[in-house]
Amino acid sequence: MRIPGLTTLTLASGSLLERPFRTLLTMLGIIIGVAAVFAMLSIGEGSRQKILENIDSVEARTISIFPNWNNGRASARRAWRPFTEQDVLDIQAIPGGEAATGELSQEYSIVSETSDWRANVIGADPQYLAANDLQMQRGRPITQTEIERRETVAVIGTSVVRSLFRGQDPMGERIKIQNIPFEIIGIVDETEGTNWRGQDQNNFVLVPRPTGRARLFGDDRLVRNQVRSIRIVGATHEDRARFEREVDFIMRRSRGLTADEAPDFRIFNFSANRQAVAETQRTLSLLLATMGAVSLIVGGVGVMNIMLVSVTERTREIGLRMAIGARGSDILSQFLTEALLLSIISGLLGLGLGYAVSQVSLGTDEIEMVFSPNIAILSFGSALLVGVVFGFLPAQRASQLNPIEALRHE
Amino acid sequence: MSAPLIETQNLVKTYGRGSSVIKALDEVSLTIDRGEFVAVIGASGSGKSTLMNMLGGLDKPDGGDIAIAGQSLARMSKRALAYFRNETIGFVFQQFQLLPKKSALTNVRLPMQYRRPRLDEENERARQSLERVGLGDRIHHKPTQLSGGQQQRVAIARALVGEPDLLLADEPTGALDSKTSTNVMELLVELNRQGITIVLITHDKEVADYANRVIKMRDGKIVEDVRQGVLA
Repeated sequence: MRIPGLTTLTLASGSLLERPFRTLLTMLGIIIGVAAVFAMLSIGEGSRQKILENIDSVEARTISIFPNWNNGRASARRAWRPFTEQDVLDIQAIPGGEAATGELSQEYSIVSETSDWRANVIGADPQYLAANDLQMQRGRPITQTEIERRETVAVIGTSVVRSLFRGQDPMGERIKIQNIPFEIIGIVDETEGTNWRGQDQNNFVLVPRPTGRARLFGDDRLVRNQVRSIRIVGATHEDRARFEREVDFIMRRSRGLTADEAPDFRIFNFSANRQAVAETQRTLSLLLATMGAVSLIVGGVGVMNIMLVSVTERTREIGLRMAIGARGSDILSQFLTEALLLSIISGLLGLGLGYAVSQVSLGTDEIEMVFSPNIAILSFGSALLVGVVFGFLPAQRASQLNPIEALRHE
Repeated sequence: MSAPLIETQNLVKTYGRGSSVIKALDEVSLTIDRGEFVAVIGASGSGKSTLMNMLGGLDKPDGGDIAIAGQSLARMSKRALAYFRNETIGFVFQQFQLLPKKSALTNVRLPMQYRRPRLDEENERARQSLERVGLGDRIHHKPTQLSGGQQQRVAIARALVGEPDLLLADEPTGALDSKTSTNVMELLVELNRQGITIVLITHDKEVADYANRVIKMRDGKIVEDVRQGVLA
């Protein structure tokens, strides 16, 4: 049985294996190039998917509003103005909004019957949970009535449960904040990870905001009706610009700013942050692309060099093959196959290296990598392309040798 | 009477340009029949190697015509010439031209790699060809494991494997000592006796004496054409 092309393949592999070390050195450039291309494409795909999959998450649909420390005019009077409860109500009224909440918090020591623990005490309103994408694990959330009556009830995060109660059931128990007893009515489900400040996101105690304001935060400089920041959920990707315009309008009206005055507040969206991350990834991709291209070209020149050496070394063999009936095209395909085989093996090793490297770098959160068959095919294809492009010249040179002179070559 | 195997008419080949033109072949006309054993003899520069390259389809004449086994070579394409060489000619070179890292069998099989359509039983043919030159017990040896004479026999087996019409030997004993030379020449005589047409290029009168016709060349011309020996 005879397989077409098998002879050429056997011929090519045999000649590569005759000098394994030289072959390996030649392949190195392509291996690195393919690995870089592979990593580049994976990172590119990773950032693309990250943006896509988060585009409609609660986090991405959230707009946060902060008072600005400095609106550009270094006037002490206007240096820092918090928001008001009325602002929260106005923001809640934006059409299409799902939930909006004001935030007012302070860290206190929380005391149970057996121990104490520092946690963030947050003055919450009924929309607080929804606006922060939180769910109840047990018990119930704080009601409107409890807020209006300024009751001393608390909903706690899982870190507080773990630190203060150690296996005991906290439901219905009492904790003391600034010596004021609060009754635990619910536990919020665990959130993964840390917040943007690197703090534990489950280490909090929610109390009705008016209660907090009257009995806890009263000695703070934040007085009646004031909140530190506002969050609103509901701005889809397409709708975000409108939301930001509405927020801007409401805040300017509330703070007595005209449309062309510099705002003393800041509108922040997490997607914008994501885009900054994506930008970083793009830069990294570009860097890798450059590196990949350079490596592939260097690798290709290496292949060309080694093939030219090989053609010179085997000039007599080429002459003989021609004398006994090899056509120019036979010689061309023999050397081209050799160059291709070289780049196929390099391509496979490069994919392996790229994958191994990406497994190591996957440990870091900043770099998101996604693999797909297309990426593997594309980076492998770049190796083949290099093989053909840089293998062609030596192969052509071999095929155009004059057999009489080639046979006489020393 | 059948047509001659080789027929050249006023074959001209020149090298160089202008005032330094050298006529390597100067109006050479020659006829060789099937079954002949011809030695072409001459000093270096006499044009004998150029003649061999013409007969073997490795080079094209600048003038005249050359026909081998009924095929006119002067206007053949490169591709057709390659096929002609593969099918019609068996080459034996002074330096053997074996692939050093391949076995005798692989070396002998080489010409069949370029035959279209491919022959069947390539291994068997190669083995038989090696047996024919007395190396049936060395088929897996590499050239480095063989003596010079044995290497030239492998080369002869390679030349024979495609069943060519003409065996072209270019100084086949040039790299061998006299005892081994005798063996190789006796093998060629034996092959000729079996019916193979041989054209031998040499500068050595003793080697030429094995042939039954000696053509002497000088300055690109045939100066002597003598039939000798039993078949003369």
